[in-house]
Amino acid sequence: MIAALLMLLAWQAPPPEALEHLKTGADALNANKSAEAVAEFRKTTETAPNLPAGFVGLGQALMQSGDYQGAIAPLKRALELNSDLPGAEQLLGFALLAVGYANEAIPHLEKAQAIDALGVAQLKAGKFAEATANLQAALAKRPGDVDLMYYLGRASGLLSRQAFEELRATDPESARAHQILGETYAVLRNTAGAEKEYREALRLRPGTPGVHLELGEMYAGVSQWDKAEAEFRAESQLQPGDAEAAFRLGDALLQQGKVKEAHRELSRANDLAPGKADVLYALGKAASLDRDKAGAEKAWLAVIGIDKDGPLAGQAHFGLAGIYRERGDSAKSDAEMKEFQRLQRAKP
Amino acid sequence: MFDLIIVRGSAAVCALSVAALLANVSESIFEVSTPGGLTFKHENSPTPNKHLIETMGGGVALLDYNNDGLLDIFLVNSGRIGLESKDFFDRGNPRYWNRLFRQNKDGSFTDVTAAAGLSAAGDANYGMGVAAADYDNDGFTDLYVTSYGRNILYHNNGNGTFTDVTAKAGVAAGGWSVSAGFFDFDNDGKLDLFVTRYLDWDLKHSKSCGVSPKIYCSPSEFPGTTSLLFRNRGGGTFEDVSAVSGIAAKKGKALGVAFADYDDDGFTDIFVANDGMEQFLFHNNRNGTFTERAIEAGVAFTDDGKRISGMGVDFRDYDNDGRPDIVVTDLARQNYAVFHNEGGGAFSSQTLQTGIAALTGNSSGWGMRLEDFDNDGWKDLFVAQGHVMDNVEQIDPAVHYLELPMLAMNREGRFERADSGASVPVAGRGAAFGDLNNDGWIDVVMTVLGGKPQIYRNRLGASKRNSAHWLTLALRGTRSNRDAFGARVLVNGQSQYVTSAGSYVSASDKRVHFGLGMATTAKIEIKWPSGLVQKMDDVRADQFLNVIEPQGPQ
Repeated sequence: MIAALLMLLAWQAPPPEALEHLKTGADALNANKSAEAVAEFRKTTETAPNLPAGFVGLGQALMQSGDYQGAIAPLKRALELNSDLPGAEQLLGFALLAVGYANEAIPHLEKAQAIDALGVAQLKAGKFAEATANLQAALAKRPGDVDLMYYLGRASGLLSRQAFEELRATDPESARAHQILGETYAVLRNTAGAEKEYREALRLRPGTPGVHLELGEMYAGVSQWDKAEAEFRAESQLQPGDAEAAFRLGDALLQQGKVKEAHRELSRANDLAPGKADVLYALGKAASLDRDKAGAEKAWLAVIGIDKDGPLAGQAHFGLAGIYRERGDSAKSDAEMKEFQRLQRAKP
Repeated sequence: MFDLIIVRGSAAVCALSVAALLANVSESIFEVSTPGGLTFKHENSPTPNKHLIETMGGGVALLDYNNDGLLDIFLVNSGRIGLESKDFFDRGNPRYWNRLFRQNKDGSFTDVTAAAGLSAAGDANYGMGVAAADYDNDGFTDLYVTSYGRNILYHNNGNGTFTDVTAKAGVAAGGWSVSAGFFDFDNDGKLDLFVTRYLDWDLKHSKSCGVSPKIYCSPSEFPGTTSLLFRNRGGGTFEDVSAVSGIAAKKGKALGVAFADYDDDGFTDIFVANDGMEQFLFHNNRNGTFTERAIEAGVAFTDDGKRISGMGVDFRDYDNDGRPDIVVTDLARQNYAVFHNEGGGAFSSQTLQTGIAALTGNSSGWGMRLEDFDNDGWKDLFVAQGHVMDNVEQIDPAVHYLELPMLAMNREGRFERADSGASVPVAGRGAAFGDLNNDGWIDVVMTVLGGKPQIYRNRLGASKRNSAHWLTLALRGTRSNRDAFGARVLVNGQSQYVTSAGSYVSASDKRVHFGLGMATTAKIEIKWPSGLVQKMDDVRADQFLNVIEPQGPQ
């Protein structure tokens, strides 16, 4: 930004005194001496009131000192003097966003193409779809930025909520509206309320995809496995290609000790969406209980390949230790138990 | 006393007809009641400080202390917990006494605590559980009461009174004892004593957890400790062999204990239910020492390698394959664990296949036992239930502090939920099992934390709705310990290991009960702890059979 200030001078031909203040201010800004920079840039704007660089510098110095509100006026003045200053647009956008004027900040951030701050401004302005798109793009450029991850998560969550609210406002008695209410109750762990809404959704439109799955998940959450099985089975019949439905059905069957059918369903889930550690772990367990020890070994080794140090890997090592113990291979069994115990110790 | 009948002859064992029996069982087996005279109320004295110990008590024993042929009930009280340190664990007030109730011929009970000399529970004790056995082989059942503080061994004087012989016997223990049980680990004919201890805990280091809401802490907040093994030297004294036997080599958080000879080597092994950590299986090395083998045997963790909050335990053959299996009760969001004995010292988890997982995911279990309540030849499961935390619903609405007990009927190795007969959820804790009215059908006494005990009277016998037959054996050892604890009894293909231990903080009727289904006769084989094997054929069903260990080989 300081370099940009100096570049502005190339064609502005300000008085020498103003130039001196400007240079001193830039040096102070560079040295994080905000108060000194503010004073010097003020003198610049007084001695050269039509010089945009002085106002930009003043705005930046004020922002550096934490006075975002105070920075807004000089930055606006700079843009009045010269509307083609992307740096000033960005600073003004930041300043406005910092003090809560998200809507006002958006056009400046758009001009500056500052998509990260723009996404945040759009989020605060309630423009969730645009915010989600910009934050995703920003995160693609800066992967691992936890602030961006946070804002993206929040924006997409609010976008989802907004869409659901629109849906409910459009047709509050639709199956989907009742499904959303069911989800809300389920999150609040109000089982009775959720069940009622899901049932109503199914009554209104029996083939609504996803409702049986959610209802089943709710039953599974309270260990009502027979009811969960019925719902997952219904979802699987509606969507035979849905790996999640197949997995949940297999798990519900497994919890009830229906080993052979669980084995079949979990194999199907793994075929539909290969390489998922949770599916593979459950598949290994079902195979083991179904006396298919080779199948169990294969599935659990795959879990370890995917989830090397995670909790499922620990469980897979434990299962493998049992298989090798049964085979009489105590060396391999001991090695697996050691891995299991290592991961147990590593647990937070 | 029961008639003494020893029958020999050829076997004529009828096949079981489970389907026929099932057709006759539609409503609850049990009628829940508090009979006249059973005036006990458990006092756990919950405080705002939420000391973990407040949630753990409630021992009960079913024993025939006066040998009149009727089971009596001993109930362990906990005590007063004051808010000032000097007031902690006051037992002086009669409301905090343990109580002995003698059963009258009409099924009512009379409080005989004071007359029996059992009113002094000891200063600074907070009562937990009880073990019952005839440790000195004098023909009268003695009591061992566990506590936080000092445990007490009450010797039954044979005249309706008991004497505190703890000091002489050397079994006061100390710390936080929970469940205990008598067994004969060295087969010397004298019953030894195992005492589980829970946590290395004292009031100075007690704490609650959480802020809003404040909750009882998990045991992970406190260090574990060792359990105790006392060898009966005879002459009324015991020797603490915890260290030399190897028991003290493992620190646990032990709540439950059960005994059986899982590898059929003639020596009794020990399973210890630990809370929030791996379970322990102490294999008897036949030389006075034990080796902990839970991991090798496959009973330390669930089949997912997860730790459970082990509380109650039974070590009994649920699938009639002749080998003792293990069932452990635990907290909600786990499943009660079923470990099937595969032979060769190995177990496999059968929690899912038996249907137990589907029945228990949201329940918290304590006292329990595998018993054949409908006499169909398969041991069913009764579990006293209720969560530890009195405000658990605030954290997990699907889990409940107060619960109905679980009754699960065994259908050839798979369990199905049945109506326990209870309709009001309670905080169940201890559970003792026995035939209170000697009708051949097993009853249950369940304790309630901070409440009155409940009696689950089996009404199948009275209603004649069930035509199944039964046989109950009362064994008397001669070369073996008099209670015959450790004897392995086979009846028509079913097996039982004789013990009054298991469950949680409780002691059950020491008689051995078998449902015979449609069989009207029984083939019996008893393997006594002395090693002697006794066989009886063609024994008539529907009787109490006293069997005395022969003096010589059969």
